[in-house]
Amino acid sequence: MFLAEANPLNGSPLVFPILECMHIVGWALLVGTIGLVDFRLLGVGLRRQTAAETAKDLAPWTLLGLAIILLSGPLLFSSDPDMYYLNRSFQFKMVCFVLAVTFNYTFHRKMVRAGVSGGAGVAVACVSLLLWVGVVFGGIFIAFV
Amino acid sequence: MSLLTCAQWLQSTGWATAIRGSWYVYPVILSLHMTAISLFGAMIVVTDLRLLGIVMRKRPVADVVDELRIPKRIGFVLVATCGALLASSKAEEYYYNPFFWTKMSLLALVAVHALVFRGSVYSRAAEFDQAARIPGKAKLAASLSLLLWFCIACAGRGIGYIEPPLDKLHASLAQPVSGPPAPIPWLERR
Repeated sequence: MFLAEANPLNGSPLVFPILECMHIVGWALLVGTIGLVDFRLLGVGLRRQTAAETAKDLAPWTLLGLAIILLSGPLLFSSDPDMYYLNRSFQFKMVCFVLAVTFNYTFHRKMVRAGVSGGAGVAVACVSLLLWVGVVFGGIFIAFV
Repeated sequence: MSLLTCAQWLQSTGWATAIRGSWYVYPVILSLHMTAISLFGAMIVVTDLRLLGIVMRKRPVADVVDELRIPKRIGFVLVATCGALLASSKAEEYYYNPFFWTKMSLLALVAVHALVFRGSVYSRAAEFDQAARIPGKAKLAASLSLLLWFCIACAGRGIGYIEPPLDKLHASLAQPVSGPPAPIPWLERR
């Protein structure tokens, strides 16, 4: 059992908000870059290049975003592990997050590279966007349930 | 009419009262605000990083800047609408919140940024593709834009850290009417 009081990160009131800002920036990079690919599949945004080209161009930024949230997220979690672990919204967020990342680096990547378009492209984009939206809702509701 | 009176009036409107009165409407709008920020904020980041020559260097500047213009505007309207609903529901509380005023001031600077750089940078992306290199003014505009939006995001998060001055607020308006639903017994059993 962890004790929130024993965590050195809880020693300063500034650590949590700074980590949160990092988390938001990483999140915007990760989801925003994937979102640009999904919007392209939906026919919105960067229409002068294919979804596969967009995904390839932005892949390092997606990975950077993922690295930032995987660094800041567990540190935020460590500030009060018992609360997060038992929080229904946090549990929902983690399920959505694992599904979204897995989907992105397996099916989503494969379909985008194969040049998916039309109805199948719309379906892939919608599943991807819905999973990521689930992560946001899960994250925000942690403080409200 | 003072600004505080305006805030109190805004908070007492039907929709603001309804948002405050439900335990879930505020977080739902906040989630939509955050979703729109991540999806459309990334368009701003990509546009500015392209102008700085950091991402999508093989793609013409015009392809990135021009194609994202309309989606960015739609995104801004979505984010601002959600933001206005959130702010109106707690207008009186936010009147005393320094981070809220920091964020509003930074948003005013975004308008100034647009007035200064829209004509001279963002509408001239096609010219940058003909030029040997992206001019310094465009890079300045992109850097300032990134800095402004980063500060706005941080200030926005900061709003939640300020305790509302309950002694100054109308007590009946400050607290939500209902709390979260009672836990479901069969889900709580372990």
